Amino acid sequence: MARGFRRKGIGRHTRYAAQLDPLERSTVAGLMDQVRDLLDPPAPAPEGGDDFASIVAGLGMGVTVAAADQADLDPDAAGRDPALDRLLPTANRQDDEVAAEFRRLTETGLRQRKAAALETAADLLRRDDKLRLDADQARAVLTALTDVRLVLGERMGLRTDEDVDVLEAAARDLDPDDPLGYALAIYDFLTWLQETLASAMLDG
Amino acid sequence: MSLAPVTEEVTATGGDVAPDTPWITIVWNDPVNLMSYVTWVLQNHFGYSREKSEKLMMDVHTQGRAVVANGTREAMEADTEALHGYGLWATFQKDD
Repeated sequence: MARGFRRKGIGRHTRYAAQLDPLERSTVAGLMDQVRDLLDPPAPAPEGGDDFASIVAGLGMGVTVAAADQADLDPDAAGRDPALDRLLPTANRQDDEVAAEFRRLTETGLRQRKAAALETAADLLRRDDKLRLDADQARAVLTALTDVRLVLGERMGLRTDEDVDVLEAAARDLDPDDPLGYALAIYDFLTWLQETLASAMLDG
Repeated sequence: MSLAPVTEEVTATGGDVAPDTPWITIVWNDPVNLMSYVTWVLQNHFGYSREKSEKLMMDVHTQGRAVVANGTREAMEADTEALHGYGLWATFQKDD
């Protein structure tokens, strides 16, 4: 049973402490890996080599946000995964040329920084049930949780505040085996975890 | 470890704008980002007070968008890039 983040200590000794069980930790870290791969795709596995993703998927606990696993993925006009548009949105809605120029200048750096924070956060989660984060680590986990929730939200079709209400209402009638119910449960868990961390950091 | 909010210098293109034309950075509402998180980002990135950050966050939430900063185009581009690093839905534009 998870315990959310709480602030401990003061000044540079401040730590953000939480406790997650191994399944919770591996689930969240696994989603962070997937979002990192979305931003910074790894080189394809060598022929005949272990396909880690398929092994994880085979464990039966996989909510997958990877583009290849989305049955009804609908790329935008530029052929881009819509989840990437949530992570790296259009920066100017009035002038396509300005938006394209901004993307050209910033996208690589943003992808790298997001991927680095996701990797840091996933590594921290894999260490121990008891998390004890300093300020920099807490920022990495906080932003990584945001990026995972943005992608998972996009995969579940959350685009407006109303979509959230519709999804929650629909979830009550879902078959217990429906993967959407499982995805929503994980999304709610991530939301709760992030809320405890953001609130703890906001108090500072 | 360098984290998302670090900004890189963004070079403005164009040059068709009077140097004193104010530009703005807008944050748009989205169904995912938490109210506490948006408040934290505004406080943390802009150095706004808790009160001002909460007011802007509520404007985003209730009105669908809020202007969170204004200044030169270069500054607004840098703010937008940083806010994208935090996962907020930010845009910059000329203040019409």
